[in-house]
Amino acid sequence: MTIYTPHNFSALEEIMAGLVADKSAVNIQSSGTKAGLGHQTSAGDELHLHKMAGVIEYEPEELIITAHASTALGEIERLLQERGQMLAFEPPHLDKLYKTASTGTIGGALLANLSGPRRLSAGAARDFLLGFQAVSGRGTSFRSGSKVVKNVTGYDLSKLLCGSFGTLAVLDEITLKTLPAPETSQTLIVAHPDLTQVAGAARAAMQTAYEASGAAILPKAVHEMSQNCAIAAIRIEGVAVSVADRIANLQTALSSFGHCDVVPQEASEALWADIRDVAPLCGDDAQIWRVSLAPSAFVSFAQSVEGQIDCRYYADWAGGLLWLSTQDEGAHHFIRSQLQKSGGGHATLMRGDDALRANIPVFEPLDPALAKLNQRVQHSFDPYHLLNPGRLG
Amino acid sequence: MQMPKADQDVIGRRAEIAAGLREILPAQCVIDNEVSMKAYDADGLSAYRQMPLVVVLPETTEQVASVMKWCRDHKIKIVPRGAGTSLSGGALPLADGVLLALGKFNQILDVDFENRCVVTQPGVTNLGITHAVEDEGFYYAPDPSSQIACSIGGNIAENSGGVHCLKYGLTTNNVLGVEIVTIDGDILRIGGKHLDSGHLDILGLMTGSEGLLGVVTEVTVRILKKPATQRAMLVGFDSAQAAGQAVSNVIAAGIIPAGMEMMDAPAINAAEDFVNVGYPRDAAALLIVELDGPEVEVDHLLGVVGDIMSQSGSTSLRLSHSEEERNQFWAGRKSAFPAVGRISPDYLCMDGTIPRKALPEMLTRMASMSQKYGLRVANVFHAGDGNLHPLILFDANVEGELARAEEFGNDILRNCVELGGVLTGEHGVGVEKRDLMTEMFTDEDLKTQQRVKCAFDPDHLLNPGKVFPVLHRCAELGRMHVHKGDVPHPDLPRF
Repeated sequence: MTIYTPHNFSALEEIMAGLVADKSAVNIQSSGTKAGLGHQTSAGDELHLHKMAGVIEYEPEELIITAHASTALGEIERLLQERGQMLAFEPPHLDKLYKTASTGTIGGALLANLSGPRRLSAGAARDFLLGFQAVSGRGTSFRSGSKVVKNVTGYDLSKLLCGSFGTLAVLDEITLKTLPAPETSQTLIVAHPDLTQVAGAARAAMQTAYEASGAAILPKAVHEMSQNCAIAAIRIEGVAVSVADRIANLQTALSSFGHCDVVPQEASEALWADIRDVAPLCGDDAQIWRVSLAPSAFVSFAQSVEGQIDCRYYADWAGGLLWLSTQDEGAHHFIRSQLQKSGGGHATLMRGDDALRANIPVFEPLDPALAKLNQRVQHSFDPYHLLNPGRLG
Repeated sequence: MQMPKADQDVIGRRAEIAAGLREILPAQCVIDNEVSMKAYDADGLSAYRQMPLVVVLPETTEQVASVMKWCRDHKIKIVPRGAGTSLSGGALPLADGVLLALGKFNQILDVDFENRCVVTQPGVTNLGITHAVEDEGFYYAPDPSSQIACSIGGNIAENSGGVHCLKYGLTTNNVLGVEIVTIDGDILRIGGKHLDSGHLDILGLMTGSEGLLGVVTEVTVRILKKPATQRAMLVGFDSAQAAGQAVSNVIAAGIIPAGMEMMDAPAINAAEDFVNVGYPRDAAALLIVELDGPEVEVDHLLGVVGDIMSQSGSTSLRLSHSEEERNQFWAGRKSAFPAVGRISPDYLCMDGTIPRKALPEMLTRMASMSQKYGLRVANVFHAGDGNLHPLILFDANVEGELARAEEFGNDILRNCVELGGVLTGEHGVGVEKRDLMTEMFTDEDLKTQQRVKCAFDPDHLLNPGKVFPVLHRCAELGRMHVHKGDVPHPDLPRF
């Protein structure tokens, strides 16, 4: 096995030219923190990108940051925080979930299109990648997008790269949109023994004009905040005067759903970090599933799955994102068939042992015509299947 | 501007092609008489006109699929069309192409407040979606100026913006799902009421693809609750540079207004002549800043933004105190185009984006270009996100003025790219900016995009002649090494 370790873009171009000439496939990694996500690739060699790291330019007034894709996520988050800004898509820190030493790189977060609780109001990782430079599986370098937010010039390949798990091109320079971080935040907790009731509260919160930036549903005992009773947690962020006002109004609006309590900033931030990072389910070595579905389908979906397999779960995105852990070997069957009955969506095996990942589709199987289109698009970037072959299934 | 050479053989078979289409569509869905087709000979870029070969107006997704497959099998080109409001010629017909108009797809299919979304057919207007949900206090956020007429399907094709996309995003940030028909006649459903489907983001790719990849037959969009309060301020400055700096200062203070627009002196005066709403005629630049949200927040931020404006050297500041007054503040901005139309027989509307910090430099360059070309220019900007809409004033009846205006426009866009910006912020490339694509992209950048096109449409049947300045054969794009300057296929159509 050969391990290639380019230290800059031209070295990467040279390596890629060699791989193309030899038709030699590589497994691509940077920090390696998401090696447990997706299928194992069939590549014989390794392309390690960790040396292609570092922030190139950060312009807070322009709301953009340009960096090499292997820059540590933590480094970018710290830098933005110093200037009162943030990555608004709130990328999850999956170090506890994958039991890794770091929270990974910005490139990893983008290529997996992973977004946290604020996805609901601010958008996904894919909404923040403005432009990039990369080398395709043809060995040719190209750019797409730009360093400005408003741009419709040519195809939006940034969207395509996000969530591609490195199967289209090797990403180097990226430009992201940043946003001002909120001055303060608080969380309103609505507690009721009936899960249907708190799920209703979360959806009702999103139907108000109070601009909630997070709405999670925690069944009884899944988190210390829901020790005795199921809760909905609604996060309100912004300038202090507005947060106080909206929390008060929201409390009035949601009081019919259950008992309301306000969680102050520090505890609120800890709670949302737990929700973002799947902390309530990370404790053991169980399978972890991430299910994206229509918010209104959450309760019936979760309770049906619960009736068939032993599992623990909670929801983010007002019910639109279900995190579920189970030890059941046949869980995928129940989850995916129930999802079809619940109006459809996407179920992804976020964590599972090698044997399980080799035997079942990690990502939601696509309808055959759409699967073919995906393959053709992939082929257009990487005709020889050199980049992370098989990672997406 | 040159379009791909029309295939005279196809044009000669027009009656036969119309008859073939009538076999797969109800008779009323196929139009091939010149008088009725005249309505489709241009879109919003009306300087360019072309009669289509045949117009089809299918009524169901299955009919769209039949048309696509039939045209693929017979190697007939297709130009998709929504409401025909494109400002870049995205729906400009081809003489040897079928115009596929989605006008009959005009039904809203599902309004779902629980999941905060609307499922609609693509021919429904942008504003039609808001009308369907506003009784419950909801709205659809992207608001292109043409929202009363433009269709949501067209919005997806162009990734349309609007004055409020500074805070609420473009179309791409507000679409949850689509049903598309490919050139093969496959009906694909991507996304839906759930967020972030896995696998490749075909939904994101389709949005802004200008009708080159597929035809959208159903759309699911996110809706939002209307903000409790919306207030606007009108701020005058004695230089465009100072106004530009004020915009940067607001963003730097961590405030993202719902909208932040700028007009220069010619635009201010044209608008004031037209709607008479009290714009400061003596100002060199005017900002309209809108803040929305809970009343206490809006009040608080109006104070903060007001302070920033005076620290940035504002010469006048007015706040809206009623909904009527707020609408008045916007009336001038929203009627800027027709207002300019009154002071000049013709105008060209450009659409580049630059980094905010480059605004003063761009304005200086624009003034000298105006002198160089001997044509007046009025500027309206989506200043918050650096999106410029210079309006170049000319008279098409004066020989050479149209050409000069187009060259002026191209020069502006080249300068946008040079200053770190892009050719188009929201209007699309279409035919208008097609030949400038090489200013922004290398040959390989464009080939990478065209290979994606080939994955959808290997025979270049969908909307050819738009977006890309050179039509590469898909087989050629598969080649591995094309050296700089070495043109391997001199016979390829270049226009």
